[in-house]
Amino acid sequence: MLSTDLARGLGSGELDRLQGRMGLTGDIASQVWRYAKGLWAGDLGYSIPHAASVLQLLLTALPWTGLLILGATPIFVIGGVLTGIEAGRLPGGTVDRWVTPVVTLLASLPPFTGAVLLLLAFGILWPVLPTAGAEPLLPAAGPVGGALDIMRHAILPTLALALHELARFYFLARAETLTLAQRDFVLNARARGISPWRLRWAYIGLSLIPACLSRLSDTLTGLITAVFFVEIVFSYPGTGYLIYSAILDRDYDLLQGAVVFMAAFVLLANWIVDGLVIHLARRG
Amino acid sequence: MPLVLRQWWLPAGVMVVCLGIWFAGQAGLLDYRSSRDVLIAPGSAHWLGTNELGQDVLTGLILATPTTLVLAVATAMATSTLAIGAASLVVFSGPFLSGMVLRIVDAVQVVPTMLVLLLFAALINPGFLSLFLLLVITGWSDDVRVAAAVLRREGQRENIQYARAMGAGWLYCWRWHLFAAMRPLCGVLMVQNIRQAALKSSGLAFLGLTDPRLLTWGSMMQSAMDQLYSGAWVWLLLPPAALLSLLLHVTLTMGDRSLRSDAVPEFSL
Repeated sequence: MLSTDLARGLGSGELDRLQGRMGLTGDIASQVWRYAKGLWAGDLGYSIPHAASVLQLLLTALPWTGLLILGATPIFVIGGVLTGIEAGRLPGGTVDRWVTPVVTLLASLPPFTGAVLLLLAFGILWPVLPTAGAEPLLPAAGPVGGALDIMRHAILPTLALALHELARFYFLARAETLTLAQRDFVLNARARGISPWRLRWAYIGLSLIPACLSRLSDTLTGLITAVFFVEIVFSYPGTGYLIYSAILDRDYDLLQGAVVFMAAFVLLANWIVDGLVIHLARRG
Repeated sequence: MPLVLRQWWLPAGVMVVCLGIWFAGQAGLLDYRSSRDVLIAPGSAHWLGTNELGQDVLTGLILATPTTLVLAVATAMATSTLAIGAASLVVFSGPFLSGMVLRIVDAVQVVPTMLVLLLFAALINPGFLSLFLLLVITGWSDDVRVAAAVLRREGQRENIQYARAMGAGWLYCWRWHLFAAMRPLCGVLMVQNIRQAALKSSGLAFLGLTDPRLLTWGSMMQSAMDQLYSGAWVWLLLPPAALLSLLLHVTLTMGDRSLRSDAVPEFSL
């Protein structure tokens, strides 16, 4: 901002004040020290284009990103695992022959391509779902109507995110099921004639939980990357879209704060998932 | 066909094609210039139609191919080499250097790579070389721990122990023993890194954060986004998206095959 035409009309006093407000006074070491001290106190900086604190902006955007991630996670985890178990139970069977190539194709689509294709299919060619934003221009009157509107707007971005991540869990569940099918306890259970549903759920499904949780921990960084693209394609007001708008506006305070905030978020989420995995591993 | 030829025909073929396209571009045989034929549908004059500047889409796709592929392959080679080099330091150097490298890896891995790439791409609008450097700097750390684990395992093998007992240094062991043992892993890392580099570079180009003069499949998709509501997306968006997906599919299949071929000798013992 200081190197653009905006700064030309400013007097030297105003320029100094602006520099001070942006934390650009003093040498580099003192600026870094001041920023670190501010971080410690929970101050991520101030966004001049948005006229709001970075933390406040991120906390406003985070629930929308959280909604997409929380909406997509059950779809790709449960959907991927269930179809993976089905394909792994009978390798070369109907499910395996039909689903594996489709999932392989999905795995080859970059996140932005999948999102654009969904946008085209259900937003433009067959316009049944909204193509942008998280809420309609004129919000519904009641809370139920509002919630339904939010859900409608979230369908396409959630689906785009879920389709991108589905392959990881499908292939994991398929490979694990192939291995588990050879294990003594499964062979023994089958010999005793337990029902196929009990075999799927109690014997294979439960054994897959630690592996799936570990994969979920690996997935988190990829998921955050994918959610950026999905939010940008659908102009969804989450953290990804906020960061993208910060890039376009050259809002470096917001960008810097977002990097720190997202790093802390990823660390915290990974820590929680790792704790869960260790707890489950102890349980056996 | 002999095994060595079977392994190398595809990369060698791709390299020859890329060189051919580059020479054709330099010689003026492939001219990607704007014209008055704006948004023309595919036909005999323009096999894949034209874009909003009247440029031939097929020519654009052909010219973007070497940039996309060379960027992905060069980045993969550099990141794999750096990762294995860092892993060697972790395994064979002293505790101080080893700890320092691992802490640097931790620091780089804390932040999602795409976020760092977005940050720097916004600052510098990278061209080919700066995009390559950015991808290498943000990508090398992912494989260090995997490579270090394999190096630790290979370092315990009898041939290495015997060579060490006979007075061989780690450099000698690397050259004559470890290099051969690490080749399968290098192959897997290369394929995975090609995929990652292609995804990241096309992602940045799709967001319009690379140098506008750098023609890649991702940048072609980005310019096609303005035509989603006209019918032109069919020939502007689908061809680069299909080529990018094909590249990712090929690398996925190659990675899978390479993992299987590496697994066979272990289990057949």
